[in-house]
Amino acid sequence: MMDAEEEDTKSRLAPDVTPNRRLPWFTGIELLSDTNQNKHFLPTGLEGIDALLGGGLRQGQVTEIAGPSSSGKTQVCLSSATHVVDRNFGMVLYLDTSNSFSPFRISCFVNQLHPSLPKELKETSLQTTMSNIYCQSVFDIFALLDLLHHVETTLKHTLGGSKLCLLIVDSVSSVIAPVIGGKNSQGWCMMASVGVLLKRIAYEHNIAVLVTNHMVGGENGTLKPALGESWKGIPHIRLLLSHGTGNNRGTATVSKHTLMASGRTANFVIGN
Amino acid sequence: MGEAKPGDWIQCDETGKAMLSRVLSGRPFIIPVPPLHRVPLRLGNVVEISGPSNSAKSQVLVQAVVHFILPKEWGGIHVGGMESKAVFFDLDCRFDVLRLSQILTHRITETCGSIGQIAFDKLFHDCMSRFLYVRCYSSSEFLSSLKELSYQIQRKDETVGTGLRLLLIDSVGSFHWIDRSNQLRGLCKGKNISSQSFQEAIVHELHELLLLQPLLVLATKASLFRTETPNEYQRSISNCTGDRNLLFREYMPVVWQSFVTHRIQLNPSDEFLSNGSEPIWSYTSEWLQPSVSMKDRFIVRDDGIFLT
Repeated sequence: MMDAEEEDTKSRLAPDVTPNRRLPWFTGIELLSDTNQNKHFLPTGLEGIDALLGGGLRQGQVTEIAGPSSSGKTQVCLSSATHVVDRNFGMVLYLDTSNSFSPFRISCFVNQLHPSLPKELKETSLQTTMSNIYCQSVFDIFALLDLLHHVETTLKHTLGGSKLCLLIVDSVSSVIAPVIGGKNSQGWCMMASVGVLLKRIAYEHNIAVLVTNHMVGGENGTLKPALGESWKGIPHIRLLLSHGTGNNRGTATVSKHTLMASGRTANFVIGN
Repeated sequence: MGEAKPGDWIQCDETGKAMLSRVLSGRPFIIPVPPLHRVPLRLGNVVEISGPSNSAKSQVLVQAVVHFILPKEWGGIHVGGMESKAVFFDLDCRFDVLRLSQILTHRITETCGSIGQIAFDKLFHDCMSRFLYVRCYSSSEFLSSLKELSYQIQRKDETVGTGLRLLLIDSVGSFHWIDRSNQLRGLCKGKNISSQSFQEAIVHELHELLLLQPLLVLATKASLFRTETPNEYQRSISNCTGDRNLLFREYMPVVWQSFVTHRIQLNPSDEFLSNGSEPIWSYTSEWLQPSVSMKDRFIVRDDGIFLT
């Protein structure tokens, strides 16, 4: 009889909480130990940018790189992919929306990393690098959402943890920009869903997400990153690239960071 | 009927002085952290911190968390915290625990001076275990975790239910577009759940929670929509003062707007305070409700928020 009474009080107190679906509460200590153990910094290979980011791309966070055309955004993506695979952090998934993935550039970066190896070893190292980078083309937002859902399901059901550690979407703005704008809120909803998915994949599976964004005209003739105010709330860290003096040089500015102050700049050089 | 005299009706229950002392001891004023320091806050108030992206709203929340989880005194040293628990609902999913630990470390070294490593670790551990964190990836997850919280408080659960004084919500508008689009499509099966009814249910849950346990609620809201660009005259005035006083349209429903008791708006400022080689961004804060005519200016450093 006591059990029935207890059941009764329980159901009166919590009518809508299903017992199996309990959201986990984390204390500060658990969060901190999870961050220290699982969320590492992945190198981009470009010293100036690594210094700005506080060590590199952080697992569990979404980093956005915005800049005008040919300011080096794709080069940063390719360089990060190469360096992450080369130092055995794990695999890289490269979602390419504008056919900018270039195996030739990857091989240039690999040559740069190991300049003094004999030819056969270079060949094998190039083979290993290439086999750990998965490249997939997506040309519209529906394919992107589909693919991200598929990636998430695969990651959830991979036993023993997956080896994916970096997800690059180059460029996310070219698939989102055509659908937003105007009075209809469907496009904004899809953009918000992409954002939630990327953040969930990043945090739950310890993956660093790198996305690129282009620039559009703002007030007073200045350039501003595309995708509007609502997108600004999605990435953890935002960098703005601009052309520097001379070839292969650029400047990066931090416009948002979770740990450090904004406004810092650094120069970076993309090697040959 | 009975022998109640009419004179009894106008007898007072308690004097004003007695009532004031009862209220002040039951719900004392919280010494707030800057930039919330201009208006006295008490448990039971709901403060909405709004502003465009990159206006230091989440930093204000982290600052408030540190103030609440520090103890009142430690080893004889007066620390000045509230020694209570804080629960953080992260709807934006951008909370960085390293930033919290950075500010907490700075605050402990500042107030306690040089204490040994073991004592420091114990104090740090105690403080961090008073901080509770929940990530929500949709409005329905947020609603169910609110219900879970009130259930735990009713049960007086050890981990969550007792000693809770601060509730933080990072970005109430995070799921605005998703909920609005679902409303238009009538997506959810069964009841016709719309964005309006999600918000109403959330506000209802928060209201019930505040009745159960007095809490201070701090919620950030990203200002998404600018109002029509002001005409040339207004723009030239705002250029003169050097602050970008951006006007934003309200997009939260009426039920949320009437639930909020205090409003403060933050804005990034155009003025840079240059400290040596690197410019330091500064921000302005302005109380909208209750309306205070002074604007404060503050900067965010490694060890927290400081007024200038």
